[in-house]
Amino acid sequence: MEHFSVKTFKQQLSARKISLAFQGIFSQDVLALIGKSLRNTPESRVIAKRLFAIVIEMAQNIHHYSAEKQYSEKDGRDIGVGIVAIAEDDDHYIITSGNCIIKTEVPPLIERANYINGLSPDKLKQFYREQRKAPQREGKPGANLGFIDMVRKSGNPIEINIKDYDETRSFFILSVKVNKEL
Amino acid sequence: MENFHIDGSTYIPRIDFNAQTGVLELEGESYHEYTTEFFGPIFSWLEDYLEAPGKEITLNFKMSYFNTSSSRRFLEILTMLEDYQNDKEGKVTVNWYYEENDVDMLESGEEYADDVELSFNLLPY
Repeated sequence: MEHFSVKTFKQQLSARKISLAFQGIFSQDVLALIGKSLRNTPESRVIAKRLFAIVIEMAQNIHHYSAEKQYSEKDGRDIGVGIVAIAEDDDHYIITSGNCIIKTEVPPLIERANYINGLSPDKLKQFYREQRKAPQREGKPGANLGFIDMVRKSGNPIEINIKDYDETRSFFILSVKVNKEL
Repeated sequence: MENFHIDGSTYIPRIDFNAQTGVLELEGESYHEYTTEFFGPIFSWLEDYLEAPGKEITLNFKMSYFNTSSSRRFLEILTMLEDYQNDKEGKVTVNWYYEENDVDMLESGEEYADDVELSFNLLPY
């Protein structure tokens, strides 16, 4: 078996301009840490806050909904496992998350993403306010606003990629591009 | 009635609700993983506080960041205050502070101002 090379990994990260990558349990402490590191992004404060907002929404999706969980001693409960990374090209930051989800959850997620991607900025704003007023979904700690917020904050559609993982689970990859210019 | 206070930290806002003066303040960042749990005691305090009619209340909202889950809780707080104004002859003023140039936080304030019938001041700092 080939040994894992940290050096190769580091080279790959820098070649793709990956400034942040985290794999593991998305506990509250991890979120706070990621938050702090993003504040040093060398862009305008508004852009830095948008990156932060999108990363937090992705991290919280993983925390609550990843189909792969680990017990966290400190938080006293099972917490979702996944990956979040930030890469960049000349004009954008690209924020990507990856985590397992139950196969049956794939179609509704794609349907929701397509619907949200198809809305004009005004309609999107209206939909956000409608959904925020709607009652909290039973047994779901999230606000059901994450995708809408990502599209609004980034000004770009969200991209979804699904890979097979095992019999019952798929690997769900979510990407959002944030323009470097306001 | 006792005042209500929570010290802010990295992901929870500083909360200072003064029962005597009617000044309610929220400041900082809010992205607790379980906002229903975190905001539970805040709603309970407000419910008790809003029992007595006719108060003048000022909500000073000075957040630099909040996640979508917190944004739901804030709407719930504003709705409680709106009901208080409509049903219990209260007078509520919301001061929505946003960092100058933070167009997103300004827009958030404008959206809340559209969602509830309360007197809203949007104040850059």
